[in-house]
Amino acid sequence: MKPAAFKYFRASTTEEALQHLEAHPGSKVLAGGQSLVPLMNFRLSRPEVLVDINGVDELNRLSVEGGEVRIGALVRHQQLAESVDVARAVPVLSTAAQHIGHWAIRNRGTIGGSVAHADPASELPAALVALNGSVVLRSAAGERRLPADEFFQGFFNTALQDGDLIVELRIPVSKSRFGFSEVVRRPGDFALVGAYIERAGSSGAVTWFGLSGRPERLPVDAWPQGESDRRALLERLVGALPVDESEDYKRAMAVNVAERAYHQAEGEK
Amino acid sequence: MAEVLRPQMMGARVSRLEDPRLLSGQARFLDDIQVPGMLEVAFVRSPHAAAKILSVDVEAARHLPGVYAVMTHQECPVMLWNKESYKVGQPALADGEVAFVGQPVVAVIAENRYIAEDAAELIRVEYQAITPVLDMRDAIQEKPRRVHEHAENVFFKKSRQTPGFDEAFAAASHHLTASFRTNRQTAVTMEPRGTAAMLDAASGRLTVYASTQSPHRMREDICNLLDIPEHLVRIIVPEVGGGFGMKAACYPEDVVVAQAALRYRKPVKWISDRLESLESDVHARDDIHDVEVAFDDDGKIIAIKDHLMADGGAYPAYPWSGAEGETGLAARVLTGPYDIPYLATDIDCTYSNKTPLGSYRGVWGPIASFIQEGLVDRVARHLNLDPADVRRRNMIRKEQFPYRNAARMIYDEGSYLESMEEALKLIGYEDFRKRQAVLRQQGRYVGVGISVFVEPTAMASSEAGEVGYESCTIRIEPSGRVTAAFGLGPSGQGHETTMAQLLADQLGVPLADIVVLHGDTDSAPYGGGTGGSRSGPIGGGAALVAGRQMRERLIKYAAHLLEAGEDDIELGDGKAWVAGVPDRSLTIRTIAQTAYMDVSKIPEGLPIGLEITGRYLPKRPVTFSNGTHIAEVEVDVHTGVVKVTRYAVANDCGRVINPTIVEGQIHGGVAQGIGAAVLEALRYDEDGQLVTTSLLDYLLPESTDVPRIDVHHIETPSEGEGGIKGMAEGSLIAAPAAVACAISDALAPFGGMVDTLPVTPDMVLKMVQDR
Repeated sequence: MKPAAFKYFRASTTEEALQHLEAHPGSKVLAGGQSLVPLMNFRLSRPEVLVDINGVDELNRLSVEGGEVRIGALVRHQQLAESVDVARAVPVLSTAAQHIGHWAIRNRGTIGGSVAHADPASELPAALVALNGSVVLRSAAGERRLPADEFFQGFFNTALQDGDLIVELRIPVSKSRFGFSEVVRRPGDFALVGAYIERAGSSGAVTWFGLSGRPERLPVDAWPQGESDRRALLERLVGALPVDESEDYKRAMAVNVAERAYHQAEGEK
Repeated sequence: MAEVLRPQMMGARVSRLEDPRLLSGQARFLDDIQVPGMLEVAFVRSPHAAAKILSVDVEAARHLPGVYAVMTHQECPVMLWNKESYKVGQPALADGEVAFVGQPVVAVIAENRYIAEDAAELIRVEYQAITPVLDMRDAIQEKPRRVHEHAENVFFKKSRQTPGFDEAFAAASHHLTASFRTNRQTAVTMEPRGTAAMLDAASGRLTVYASTQSPHRMREDICNLLDIPEHLVRIIVPEVGGGFGMKAACYPEDVVVAQAALRYRKPVKWISDRLESLESDVHARDDIHDVEVAFDDDGKIIAIKDHLMADGGAYPAYPWSGAEGETGLAARVLTGPYDIPYLATDIDCTYSNKTPLGSYRGVWGPIASFIQEGLVDRVARHLNLDPADVRRRNMIRKEQFPYRNAARMIYDEGSYLESMEEALKLIGYEDFRKRQAVLRQQGRYVGVGISVFVEPTAMASSEAGEVGYESCTIRIEPSGRVTAAFGLGPSGQGHETTMAQLLADQLGVPLADIVVLHGDTDSAPYGGGTGGSRSGPIGGGAALVAGRQMRERLIKYAAHLLEAGEDDIELGDGKAWVAGVPDRSLTIRTIAQTAYMDVSKIPEGLPIGLEITGRYLPKRPVTFSNGTHIAEVEVDVHTGVVKVTRYAVANDCGRVINPTIVEGQIHGGVAQGIGAAVLEALRYDEDGQLVTTSLLDYLLPESTDVPRIDVHHIETPSEGEGGIKGMAEGSLIAAPAAVACAISDALAPFGGMVDTLPVTPDMVLKMVQDR
């Protein structure tokens, strides 16, 4: 369980990081290393070049401005979980951040890393989709902004291209109310399945994660008031998703967590 | 002779002498062993569950810079094969075929582990896959094939029946059947396995650092397998970060490392990584029990019939298969603490294309308790009786000791019923039932599970081997300080503390004046090592025997030098004095000075010096600890997730040497038991690939999964030295059953009962939906 040999560069500015990424196609960005390093130790990931961005201070900013939460790629999960501004602007994001791994993992793991890794069972990518967020990417060619729904493409698969660096996530401050719930075997684990619920007046959306290869956001025109009607609707929605036939448990759970998230959304703010 | 002094240290809550070094990071584990020029090993392991090896090409690896050597079966033609017991052995490195995923095939020896792993990737092994044998019931029927052509799959078969069983079984008014399944687990020690070996060019002796529980056994195995005389081998066991029986075996990697050191005359080290640990440490608990129980209208259980099956994996672990251990003893203690007169058992242990089964803390016990307590609860539910009452009705009573069970095991005295009543009090059983009823109305499902256990300890033979005794060498140095050496192999149990406590009482010296050595075959007297809950009762017994002999010698010295009668001498605080005349005293140091330096003053008949080796072989082949665990759980019937919310233990392990250490043992066992009950499972897919290859997939209990544990001690002394009984396994024997029974209790409104461990969320939901 030792990684294959690799070259290592430590960048101190975004520009420097981009230059390295440009010069070394196939290189990987090292941030918190909470997923990448274990994968490298298993030799499941074997980048020839690592570009360490931990020294890039400008990627470590977290602010709420212009009706958006702006989260630098290098912000640690624990920073997000503890931010008073975030808790005020998008409380569900604080709640979800507290469910990412354990404290030690949250202290080290970064927002950008989580989004780049795109584990279908992780909380943050799904939050980004549920909250209509977007990913700001920069490369030698310039900057572009992708809606989260387009960014996440499938199992550990994103719109990231060679030479791209995630610099920031942006999440609009919404008038909707949101709820979050997940099922885990042990506190801190990746979710077996989880859900975010959006309630915007009588309509809204449900976003599931851990069900298929990516977070799945499904709009709801009108939330039924009664629990059985709501469950029936949720069951229909789950039924339309590409969930493996063998995953009976997950389909059943998906409805239950969504229902719990729905009640969470009632209590928010 | 004066009786043992009023014990001061035995029974005291002495802080562990080991802790400062462990907690401050000063302890030296196997991977901390570094010597100049040391090479490191990486293994190429089988990616197939079953395959013929067509060719092995190591040339590219051999030529990678930094690679020192590459070993295949040719360079290490050693079989780990206990020919007396089994028709099959495992080659240290695969010889023409592989039989489980993770089996060592080639060893690369390089300047460091990085290069060794780089080189391992360059080795080309051509395999021809064969249909793997993966299903236990099929394997027993020799389907789809034999694992080893020349040997039947069933390698251990045994039937036993109480005379009159059939009549008694048939005559009972009620019968139930159930099939119980425990799934594969492994110990997952915090420190993985590891071995380092080096030849001393000057003496020609081989030193092997081994992370093992039995130093002398390891020496014997290395000597036998590599054909070296034992005086030329020294085993040193450094700090060991957990063993749990898993480190009681000798593994192929141990042999390869020792062989490499001999062959290449270089220091060589291998340390397991977590992936290797999950696929190549011995597995455990892969058992099925098809059970029938017969009982009367009052819930009195009359007879149990059990077909015990275990999947022993591809080869018997060396020197002993865990499948045999799990079933063999389970068949003899299946009735647990209950007076069940008739028992019939049939055992079938089979080979498969999985990792070999070995010992893991509790071995037979967690499985047997799961069945025994599961049966009692089924009887209670069938007759609509309180589970505690059914246990009361069946429990072995005080007046029945010594009790001979239906499999002819003799139980010495214990506190079976008393322990259960104490545990019921601790958990507040009556209140709980009221609370449970109220919560059910609110759609919340809580349950309690009662697990009354017996724990055979200090057995004449165990996973620690067939050495039924233990030895202790005491040397009082000229300064009066004490060096004591044992053949034990502690892996976190705190023997340095507990053995010193026993010696301090005997020798009348402060704890700080005693150092306990262990784990080095050059300093330790021959012993069986640690395993099977034997170190406390047998190792402690040896400490008491040797301590008493030394004490007698010290008294003779003091009587002689103080010109008093031996009966009048008392020892304490590093001194000897005449009873009632504290001024007439001398220090142990003075005695020691006399014994070594001033030999003309040695009392007649005593040898020069203060050095004694005492050995202790218990009179009984086994002594039974006992106790009761009660778990309270809440089951989320919407997600299937189980939370253990409260936990109570009444524990009786005879005379307690150190309550804090006993409680620590219990806490750890309960944590592992919760893991066994709801989390831990090694899973293979239909091709025989192990799919749980990291701790992301093999779920261990974490601190948040383990509730506060209330422990109450009861002391029913054994008849052995010091009244001590072993206690290291009881907590893990009892805990899985306690949690499983609690889940069944919580889900009683839905009718089902737990029959498979671990209980996963999807299983819970199925139980809820199958209503």
